[in-house]
Amino acid sequence: MSKTTDDALPLPPPGSGRRRVDPFLGIALAASAIIMAFILLPLVEMVVQPSLEDLRETWSDPDVIRAIGMSLYTSGTAALIAFVFGTPFAYLMARKHFPGKRLVESVVDLPIMIPHPVVGIALLSMAGRHHWFGRILDQLNIQIMGTVTGIVCVLTFVGLPFYINAVKTGFEAVPARLETVSRSLGASPWSTFFRITLPLAWRSMLVGLIMCMARAVSEFGAVVIVAYHPMVAPVMIYERFTAYGLKYSQPVAVGLIMVCLVLFLLLRWASPRKGGIA
Amino acid sequence: MEKRMNQGQCRWGRILLAAVLMVFLAAATTVAKEAVIIFHAGSLTVPLAQIEKEFEAQNPDLDIQREAGGSTKMARMISELHKPADIMASADYKVIEKTLMPKYADWNIRFATNRLVLCYTDQSRFADEITKDNWFDILAREKVVWGHSDPNLDPCGYRSLMVLQLAEIFYNQKGLYDRLIANRPEANVRPKSVELVSLLKTGHMDYAWEYRSVAVQHELKFVELDDHINLGNYAYDDFYKQANVKVSGKKPGTWITRTGQSCTYGVTMVKESPNPKGAERFMTYLLDPEGGMKVLESMGQPPFIPCRVASEAELKTLPASLQKLAIVNP
Repeated sequence: MSKTTDDALPLPPPGSGRRRVDPFLGIALAASAIIMAFILLPLVEMVVQPSLEDLRETWSDPDVIRAIGMSLYTSGTAALIAFVFGTPFAYLMARKHFPGKRLVESVVDLPIMIPHPVVGIALLSMAGRHHWFGRILDQLNIQIMGTVTGIVCVLTFVGLPFYINAVKTGFEAVPARLETVSRSLGASPWSTFFRITLPLAWRSMLVGLIMCMARAVSEFGAVVIVAYHPMVAPVMIYERFTAYGLKYSQPVAVGLIMVCLVLFLLLRWASPRKGGIA
Repeated sequence: MEKRMNQGQCRWGRILLAAVLMVFLAAATTVAKEAVIIFHAGSLTVPLAQIEKEFEAQNPDLDIQREAGGSTKMARMISELHKPADIMASADYKVIEKTLMPKYADWNIRFATNRLVLCYTDQSRFADEITKDNWFDILAREKVVWGHSDPNLDPCGYRSLMVLQLAEIFYNQKGLYDRLIANRPEANVRPKSVELVSLLKTGHMDYAWEYRSVAVQHELKFVELDDHINLGNYAYDDFYKQANVKVSGKKPGTWITRTGQSCTYGVTMVKESPNPKGAERFMTYLLDPEGGMKVLESMGQPPFIPCRVASEAELKTLPASLQKLAIVNP
């Protein structure tokens, strides 16, 4: 056995009592442990710090329940809008190639990197009566400031890229030739989409919805500019933190985390783990 | 061939390293300035920004870091959240008295006044009609969007409600307060009064209750009110006392009552703060009639020159350099 093959293959030398841990695997495991600790430690700390009495008192407060409900409702609506408008867009991006496609893809990613208050400020400036767009909205009796409509607008803005990117990848994974075969056998584009593409890509759409809703539920900076009332949960957590202190804001945060965890676990469970296309 | 490539890479690597080091050094020298942290009322933002610039020009070794918000909220950040701060400047000196003294502050200097006005822009609904005699009718009209800041977090919020209560008494219109509040949905309440300015300017709001100094600084139009109700003249303190607003206390579900009084701004140095020496130097500049007080005056906020403390005993607790700038005025 030459020395070079020994170094290349992670096999323990024959006859040795101990397994020598492959350094590559070791580093990967160490990095994973650090990341898990980094994510879990602050969250676990926040969940165990409030006493059961604090939790009970906060979770029976109607304002808190309303805020968490408002968060779920607005982020769910944003995810729905992303689904309706994002799916055709993602399909187009997956199938067609055109000059400027990279630019369009970058534009879709813009909401991810724009600072959150900027989103709120931009929307508020456009929707005010001093702006031509705001005047149109005023004529249509659509209110943005301090309304659920305004909240859903900003949440859709920040959540769209997550949905579109996930679904685009899903559509790209469906081989175009399957669709071509379907068309060649006489099916219409509609029929092909619903009977061939959709059943193969629905899991990525579900993942996209989860990502979009998760992003929307945690949004704070944009929402607080557009609508302080009605309060969504992140705004209430911030308000309680600044007005009363950590003791009164932590239980609300724990409530939101628990509700979202249950929701996302349910959604993931509803999409059974499976390999790709057979 | 390999050797030459390595040498080239080595040289670029060294240049990059040198550049990174220089950036860090530059950053380090800016960090070397001493910070003085000031929590203050939102309405003091524009004058304090100017005072900060002038002070830092004369004292290049100090870096003033300001954080603005509703005074009640900022005081609680010191008392409940123990956020480090050197100076607290409040729109209501009573906030310092009730929240910070005696545990976090020993003294309270009253340094400026203000009064409430009703702000609007020329694009506001009924802007051409409004006067000091019909504003309460216009605010009650159906399509008018008007607001104020959160009474629980900002003195301007509870002061706005006090103005409405006093108006009901002064104009002898029973039920005026309730009628007006009925036309002000919760969405029109914002945590900080200066946020209302941007809502006015974008056309989301027609009228907002603000301090006169803020209206002047942001070039808004405003309706001046009678001295009996604008909380600006301490001669009418007995009339102002008739207004009472319940605001939230230390925990959700508890309440404290704020009683009407003329707007008096207070400032103090926080005990056991990170930079008391730097804070004292800033305070000396702020309370100097030729320094900070002059800036306040020029920006539409009448200062108390000289600034005031409540008693001889309190005057003695001030740092030496501030004692000669203040007088006793109970």
